[in-house]
Amino acid sequence: MKVSDLEALGYTRETKNEMEDFEIKAGYTGDLLSDVMANAPSDSILITIQAHKNTIAVATLAGIRAILVCNKRAIPSDMIEAANDNDVALFKTAETQFEASAKVAEKMKD
Amino acid sequence: MLVRADFHIHSCVSPCASLEMSPAAIAEKAKEKGLDLVALTDHNTALNCPAFKANCAQQGLWSLYGMEVTSSEEAHLVCLFEDVETALEFSEFVYKYMPDIENKPEVFGDQVYVDENEEILGEVEKYLGNASGLSIDDVREEVFFRNGLFIPAHVDKPVFSIVSQLGFLPDATYTAIEVFNPANAKDYAKYPVISDSDAHYLDDVAKKQLYIDVEEKSFAALRDSLQNNRIVLK
Repeated sequence: MKVSDLEALGYTRETKNEMEDFEIKAGYTGDLLSDVMANAPSDSILITIQAHKNTIAVATLAGIRAILVCNKRAIPSDMIEAANDNDVALFKTAETQFEASAKVAEKMKD
Repeated sequence: MLVRADFHIHSCVSPCASLEMSPAAIAEKAKEKGLDLVALTDHNTALNCPAFKANCAQQGLWSLYGMEVTSSEEAHLVCLFEDVETALEFSEFVYKYMPDIENKPEVFGDQVYVDENEEILGEVEKYLGNASGLSIDDVREEVFFRNGLFIPAHVDKPVFSIVSQLGFLPDATYTAIEVFNPANAKDYAKYPVISDSDAHYLDDVAKKQLYIDVEEKSFAALRDSLQNNRIVLK
């Protein structure tokens, strides 16, 4: 799936970087950042509630290129800024991580 | 006697702290701001503590040595010791439990440790912002075994605190509880509550108004004062 598919799924894009056509190849769901850093595949989407700047640093290291922040968590402006600067697409949703993971996984089968 | 304290300060070996945070600069700033008692608590390392000891002695400050350990639950825990040797031994112990993931200075920041003259002695290889393999209970046990002080950090913060990670503060032994916002102290009134600067930049040193009433300037007297809640938090 492409980053642009996330908008089609109804998720709100927070970043302005040009990531729409980036091909997301895998996904990882987790809130323990050390686990995400150790196990998330590259070119992936991370589904999480960790709405802070550290998540972007972890994404950069792990090769995560899109992040979907769940559960209506408020996203601080410095997180959006870091995502823009590091070519990470950042989205938010009111869905839980479970609901979002199921939807994104389904879309990835296309 | 009432001493003004700041138990939670980061130096340049913490990847997220400013490079200006040399132990020498911290000691100077602490003196300038009127602190009497300061502790160095870098993320998962005590390697800047030897320099910190020398610099605090130069400034006539009472100093403690420790680190802010990240537990496997990703809770930050302030661990303090009476002497540098114990802090360094504990630091070596914790480092063995840090994941084998190298720091990337361009992403996370530099992890340099220095001497009392701000000369760089070396760079820590593993990324210190990571979680150690030690649980909260493991860390408590190891700290108490070394006669240290065990203080969960900024429990009222939405990230990297015991409460953010577990959802609640387990009923257990803590030397004290640290809150980020002093107004939240009342929520943890069952325990002695302190508040520190958690400074990553020089200007933030001594940002909180924490006073401890101690019988004398000794680690035993400090522990006694904390345990008996002789704390003034403004």
